[in-house]
Parts: sequence; C-alpha cells; structure tokens
Amino acid sequence: MNKFLIARFPKPDFTSGYQYPEIIHGLPYETFWSWMDVAVLIIMLSIAAWAVHKRRSRSVLFTESIISVLYFGFFRSGCVCSVGSIQNVVLALNDSSYNLPLAVLLLFLIPLVSALFFGRVFCAGVCPMGALQEIVNVRSFRLSRAVTNALGFIPWIYLAFAIMYAATRSQFIICRFDPFIGIFRMGGDIGMIVFGVILLLLSVFMGRPFCQFLCPYGALMGLVSRVSVRRVEVTAKECINCTLCHNACPVDAIRPPHANRPEETRMTGVRRILLYFVMLPLLTVGGALLMQSRSEVLAGADKDVRLMRMLEAYDAAPDEGMTPEVEAFYEMGRSIDELSERVDATLLSFRHWSLIAGGMIGLALGCRLIRLSVKRTRKTYEIEPAACVACGKCFNYCPQNKSKINTDKIKYEPQNL
Amino acid sequence: MNRKIYRNLAVVTAVFALALAVMLTVSRVQMRRTSPLQSQVMETLKELYESNPDNEELGQEIRQLDLLSRRAYFTQESQLKSGIWILCIMGAILAFCLRMYYKDTMNLPAKELDAIDEWISKSRSRRYLNWGVAALIAVTLLIGVFSSDRFKALFHSTRPDEQIAEEQADEVDEPANDYEEYYAQATAPEPEPESEPQPESQPATEPAPSQAPVTESAPETEQPKPEAGTAPEPANTNAQQPTADTQQATAKTAPWPSFRGPNASARSSVRGIPTAWNLSSGQNIAWKAQVPKQGYNSPVIHSGSIFLTGADEEARELYCFDLASGQLRWTAKADGIAGSPSTMPNVNEDTGLAASTVATNGEQVCAIFATGDLLCTDMEGKRLWAKNLGVPDNHYGFASSLIISGNRLIVQYDNNDKAQLICIDTRNGNQLWAKTRKDRIAWSSPIITQAAGQQAVIVMGNPAITAYSLSNGTELWRVECMSGEVGASPCASDGIVFGASEYATVAAIDSKDGTVLWESDECMPECSSPVATKDMLYVATSYGAVCAYNASNGEVVKQHELDTPFYSSPVIADGKIWLFSNSGKCYIFSTGAGFDLITSFETGEQTFATPAFTDGMMVVRSEKSLYVVKKS
Repeated sequence: MNKFLIARFPKPDFTSGYQYPEIIHGLPYETFWSWMDVAVLIIMLSIAAWAVHKRRSRSVLFTESIISVLYFGFFRSGCVCSVGSIQNVVLALNDSSYNLPLAVLLLFLIPLVSALFFGRVFCAGVCPMGALQEIVNVRSFRLSRAVTNALGFIPWIYLAFAIMYAATRSQFIICRFDPFIGIFRMGGDIGMIVFGVILLLLSVFMGRPFCQFLCPYGALMGLVSRVSVRRVEVTAKECINCTLCHNACPVDAIRPPHANRPEETRMTGVRRILLYFVMLPLLTVGGALLMQSRSEVLAGADKDVRLMRMLEAYDAAPDEGMTPEVEAFYEMGRSIDELSERVDATLLSFRHWSLIAGGMIGLALGCRLIRLSVKRTRKTYEIEPAACVACGKCFNYCPQNKSKINTDKIKYEPQNL
Repeated sequence: MNRKIYRNLAVVTAVFALALAVMLTVSRVQMRRTSPLQSQVMETLKELYESNPDNEELGQEIRQLDLLSRRAYFTQESQLKSGIWILCIMGAILAFCLRMYYKDTMNLPAKELDAIDEWISKSRSRRYLNWGVAALIAVTLLIGVFSSDRFKALFHSTRPDEQIAEEQADEVDEPANDYEEYYAQATAPEPEPESEPQPESQPATEPAPSQAPVTESAPETEQPKPEAGTAPEPANTNAQQPTADTQQATAKTAPWPSFRGPNASARSSVRGIPTAWNLSSGQNIAWKAQVPKQGYNSPVIHSGSIFLTGADEEARELYCFDLASGQLRWTAKADGIAGSPSTMPNVNEDTGLAASTVATNGEQVCAIFATGDLLCTDMEGKRLWAKNLGVPDNHYGFASSLIISGNRLIVQYDNNDKAQLICIDTRNGNQLWAKTRKDRIAWSSPIITQAAGQQAVIVMGNPAITAYSLSNGTELWRVECMSGEVGASPCASDGIVFGASEYATVAAIDSKDGTVLWESDECMPECSSPVATKDMLYVATSYGAVCAYNASNGEVVKQHELDTPFYSSPVIADGKIWLFSNSGKCYIFSTGAGFDLITSFETGEQTFATPAFTDGMMVVRSEKSLYVVKKS
C-alpha cells in the first residue's frame, strides 16, 4: 500500500474484532522460471542475430518483438530484466552479503556478450521495453542530430545514478522508474503508468524514445557494440547511396556520406581535441568532487536516511504530527542508535559512491565531447553501431537486398503512365 | 479495409481516449485531495463518541461510516484502474489504426533537419552538451545552497530566532547519561552557591505587590483565589521575604525535575542545606505554605518553581509554587478529560488520589492522578494536552511517579490485569512507544540510567527488574528476582542497578548485561526507595531499620535501629544522607562506610514525601504543608 493510502486510511481508531491477516511475502524468484527466462533469452538472441546478420528480415524481428512483449513483458511481468540486472550485479560486487542469482548474472551478461559479437541484437526485438515501443511505432519523425547527440548523454547519467543507489543499497532506481512495468503488470504506480503511456505515445511518432534517451543498459550495449565482431549492415552487397535506409531508420543511426570539409583549420580542430583530452581528467575529478559534495542530499533517497530526517523533523516540530513512517518506527520498537549507525554507514557509502558516480559522469562527458570533435570522411551510408538498435527497418528498404523485383502484380494500365 | 475507415476509427478513438484521459486525471486529482476518513461528519461523530464512549450505537455508526468511506475510496480506485486499462486498449487501437492508415507511407523520408555538413551538427551538439552540463552544475550548486542550514536559517520563515533558541534550550535540557552530567548541565551557568550573595532577610507579613510573581492568564489555569483557606500564603510570619534578586536567582537554580531528582538518582551536589530548622520559630525556614489539596507526592523544582499535585473527590490539581516566595503561582485542574471517570476509583487512604510525583523538563510539567488522568502544561500552567490512560485497576491506588528525559515522558502504568511502560511525547501527548510488561502490578517508579550501552528506563515489577531502551522501549535485559507487592523504586550508581523490596530481596545488577552481582535479604524497604553511591547502598525500611550495604558485595556495613517507619526515601545532598520518618523526624547521616547519624530532630509534621533539593534549599512536603528549609 502506498504512502498516500496509509496517510488517508490509518488503522481504525478502535478495535472491531477484525483480525489483520498475516503478511505473506511473495515467493522468491522461482528457479524454474528464472532458467526458462535465460533459455528464452538465448533462443531469442540467436534468432535475432540470425535475422539481423543472415536473413536481414524485419518481419522476423517484429514477430520476436511481439513474443518478447508477451513473454518477458506480460507473462513474466517484466522482471528480472537485463536492464534492471545492472543494479543486482553492482550490488553483488559491492556487498558480499548479497547473493546474486546466477540466472540474473546471465541475464546481465548474455546480451552484452551478444552485443560484443553481433551488435545490439538484444535491443532489436528481445528487450520487452524496446519491443513495445517498436510495435506501436507508426512514423519516425526526427529530432535534429545535434539534439539527439546531446540527449544521448542522459543514459550515462542515469547509469551512474543507478550504480550509486544500488551500491549503497538505497534503491533500484531503474526498477522504480521503469515506465513500462506498470503496463506489463497491469497495475502499479499511476504516475509511472502515465509516464509509460506518454513514452508510448511518443513512440508512435518517433523511434524508441526510451532506448535513445533513457535506457542505461542501452548505454552499456552501445559501448560494447562499438567493438563488436560483426556489425549490423544494411546490405551484404555494395551500398549504392540511395538514401532509402537513412530515411527509414527510426533512431537516425545511419550516417550519410560525408566529405569532411569543415570551415575551420585543421589546427583548430587538433587544439580542440587536445584541450578535451586535457580536460578529461579534470572533468572526471571535477564531476567526482561535485557529486560527492552533494552526497548528503543524494543520500536523501535512502529509506533509513529519510526516516532519520523524518524523525528529526518530527522532533523539531512535533505539532505537525507523525508521518506514517515515524509512527511505524516507534510502533516497531526500532532503536534510534541502530538507525543512527545505519545512517552513518549509508552516508559514508554515499560519499564513496557519489565520488565514483560523479567521476563516471565526468568521464562520459569528456569522451562524448572528444567523439564529437573527431572529423572523419564517409563515402557510403554507414551504421553507427552504438546508436543502431538493429530493428531491421532499413533492410526492406535497401534495393540491394531485393533478390529480384516481382513484377507479377504490376498491371499495365494506360492511365497510370 | 479502406484507409478512410482506419482514419475515422483513429479519430474517434483519439477523441474518446482524450476525453477519458481528462476524466481520469480529474478523478485522480479529486482522489488525492479528498480524505474521506477526515470528513467533518466523521470528526464530529468521533468527538461525540469520545465524550460518550459507552454509546455502542454511535460506535457502530462510526464503524459503518468508516467502512463505507474505505469501500467508496477503493471502489473509486478500482474504477480508475479500469479506466486506465480502457485507455490503454484505446491507445492500442489508435496505434493499430494509425499503422494501418500509414501502412504504405510509414517510412517516407522525414524532413531532414540537419545540415548537410555533419560538422555543423557535431559543433551544435558540443554546444548543447556544454550548456546542458553547465545548467546541471548550476542546479547541483543551487540545490546545495538551498539545502544548506545557513540558507534555511536565513530565509526559512518557520524557524524564527525564538524557535532556534528553544531548540538550543532543548539541547541544554537534554538529560545527560548520568546524574553528574545532568547536574553539570543544569547548573553550568550558575556561580558556586558559596560565592552567591545571599538575599537580604526582610521579614514581612505578606508579599509586596511589586514582588509578586507575574502569571500569564490561561483558560485552563486557575489563579489563586483570594478566599482564606484556598489561597495559601506564606504562613510563617518569621519567614524570609524574598527580594527580586532572590526570585531571579531561584529561577536559575539547579533543577530537581522528578521524584528523587534528576533521573531519579536521589543524589544532589547542592551545598549549604541547614542541618536544623524549626517550623514553629521559623528558624532556617524560608517560607511555609498550605497545599490546597492533599497528596502524598513529592515536590519537584525547576526554574524557580515548585510543582506538586493534590486531589480529592472534587478535583485533581497541579500546583506551582514560587520557590522564592512560596506563593501559589497557578493551579491547573485535570478536568474535562475524555475518559476520565465521574466517580473516583477506590484507593487506599495511605495512597490517595495524588500519590504520583509530577515530572518536568523545564518546558512542560506533567502530572498523573489515580484516575488515570494525565495532564501536561507549560511552565505557566497553560494546558498543552491531557488524556486519560484508562481508569487504573489498582487495589491500593495508582502511585508510580512520572519521569521525563528530553521530550520523553515515561509512565509506568501498572494495572491488575496489565502492566505497561508507556513513552509519551511531552509536547503533544503522542504516544512514542508502549510496552506491555510480563509483570504483575507494582507501585514502583521508573528511573533513567545507562544500561547495555544506552539510555535506559529501569522498571521494577513483580517478578522482574527490567531495563528498556529509552529510545524505543526495546527490552535490554530482565532479571526476575522480585516478589510480592513491589513499592520501592530502583536506584543506580556506577554501572550497577539496585532493586529492593520487602519480602523479596535486595539485588545488585550489572547494568551492562543484567547479571546479578549479589543478593541479600537482610534489610529490605517497603515504600522507601534506596539510594546508592559508588561504594554504598542505603536502605530505609518500614520497620525502622536503616542500613548501609557495601555496594560491591552486598554486605551490610552498618545498621541503625530507629524504630520508626520510613515511607519517604533517603536522599544524598550536601554530602549527607537526609531521611524523614513517617512521623516527621528528620535523620541526617554521614555518607561512606561510617554512616553515622549526625543529627536527628522532630519537625513536628508527618512526612511521607521525599524532599527536593536545590542550591542552598530543601523543599519538604509534609502532610499539612509545603516548606522550604534555607539558612536564615
């Protein structure tokens, strides 16, 4: 029951003889189904890799998308997913007392390994979140690449925060702010459902907004797919620069030929890159220190820290009444000393992990600025591996992929001439 | 299917979806705003029920209304969820229709927004990123500024200087871990009593108007009435008349905030207490006053005021006397409290209706009566809150005294059917925690000391002495060593908790873990509570024996057979042990292993209460009066 309900519906003031039912916690993640998830994941990834690299078939990928939404989304309720598994892995690395299930580790690693070999085939139609956006997409109106490049930095910030909050055992923010989980589970926080619906409405008119501008796992997938063994290619044959694939790409991952003749001298560009290289450690350290300086504010998301602050607030202004949390604290007979100890440990942990998260953001920013300062020439249409989600839309549009033109259905009608 | 049909279907679905979305949003906002259980009707009914708790019909009506409100809310929420799902389905239909409508033109080239020269795009991206990051840093810094304490202190209107000062005062009043610290805090700004100039003696028949203490009027405060008998005035004509300086000085005196002083330790380091006085002649008597209603509770002192209670069949009252002048500053009546019984519970004559000593923290004064009425006022007698804890089922009458630590009021609320320890916020009466104890009824009072590495409440019952965490009531340790009717309270010193009760035992317990260090059955008190130092434990019994135990091994070092019963508890102050017999004879012993009787004399008035001590003064409540002993 959420805070809103607890505040409005406290336990009755007097007894009515009603016996409160015993609280039953849900069963842990069932072993069978967790291994079934891993098996389905592997099968679907294999099919996706085949469809992307061999068959170049959009229809296979679209069918996979529907299956993924039905199985991983609605049937398995969207949990555990590879996107959220980042947090489990981080927590396990930081806290030896946390027992990371092997299936969750595999859910985290397998898509990354597949990206290392085949690019982002996981995003193609296996990830239920990407698949749901893919299914509802009708038109792909584009934003300026200057804007998308800048917005593409957001997933790194999200990832840094997710790591920090998971490592400090405070929150799994990827799960908490998962916009589609409410839809998959047919219930949940209304705010998040509304957010999911907004994202889906956006997805109708633009290509995968969540994947492009929010997904933290997508940031990792993009990083790995830069060095993938087999990159996604529109066609196995020679590109004829027809522009059709570029027009079809919903995430603007296909870069057109580029002559690279910027209106600045070569030395200006070199100086800029050198400057960014010098700034890289400064940005990393600066980001780390800035974030650490706000570690106490960031720690406010931790439930213990929040509770302690509520207790302090109550102590300072008791007339404003107890929050349900404070009331529960006193009713449960918890010790202030014990809470205080936990809060101190959490604050210390936040100081450490905010430093790392800030450094990570600074580093990602520096790298992105360097990448945006590099000039290169392209003679044909090329797929940007980090941005391509392997949806396969371009395959059908490439004339080189057509084995032959079927002219059977074309009827000669003089008025059409 | 014709493209037009898909288009029309899409338009119709979109219109309906939009309308539904608006309705759902409005419904959601309404649900957020309304608090059905806090409705006017419900509140009124609850108030009516509180004043008439026996009205089962009304109770049933409230239950029904409560149930209906909850049901209505959840039905509405269920409808909202259904609406969201209908919206989702409409969204799916819309997406499907749009896909079908744009089937042939879905991937027509979108408008190319980017410049042909990719370098321009990259340059713009860098610029956007730089601006974005600069904005992010600015926001981060601003958050830091807004969340800083300095900013809050500067601009937060809800924290005026007075409040900050109050908080600081709270911090000063926060009880320390042991008596010495508590006392050091309370007396820190004070000069040494020896060096403090004594107020000039000015015998007078009644206080001059200009010297009368100013009392703010409050609705719940009953001012002293002018009629004879109800308006106690300094009775002794030879008593010293305080000056303004005296009043100012007494306002800063060391507090004696509860039964047996700070943390109920029964020890005080005050000096200059006269070892002889005479109520008849007024020798060493600052003043003597009558207490309007009878009570066996002991006086407590804070901020130049003395607090105590009195009760009879007609009324239960909390009194505040001026320490300097003895004038009754205010009276707060414990009346109009929901749940308070209309007829007084049966109590033993020796217990009365006001046996429990009040407690204060310098901000609030709390009192409890045998009716279960708990009253808390500010230092000027204005009622802050009051509640009835349930009429005690107690065959002698409720007698446990209150104790306060910071803002935590501890009530040992023992009944024949249930023994409880309750912690209440002194500021608003909210219950912070409550523990049902596995003990039978007792008349003992809790003390506060360090146990198991934290501030703890030590409670004696039958059969256990138990330590509870002050912060949350967690049981820290429990030692079952008591039996019978436990009336005496525990005491503690140097990491050892002592508990003693007649027909049971005298036990010394390690406060860290509850280990019993020794037990003895040589000299056991009935009502009088023992007092301990680092080396000794002093016990006064109801059969006339007063004993000194070796605190480390339980051996009785010395015993005085005085052949007079003691209900009042011994107190160590001014380096001596002070003890009143029931008959009113004062015994003064030396401390240490010597434990010699220095002097004893009859005061002439029966005394059951334990005296309170502050700088150079002892406040005694006898059966008839309240008086202050002070060097003339």
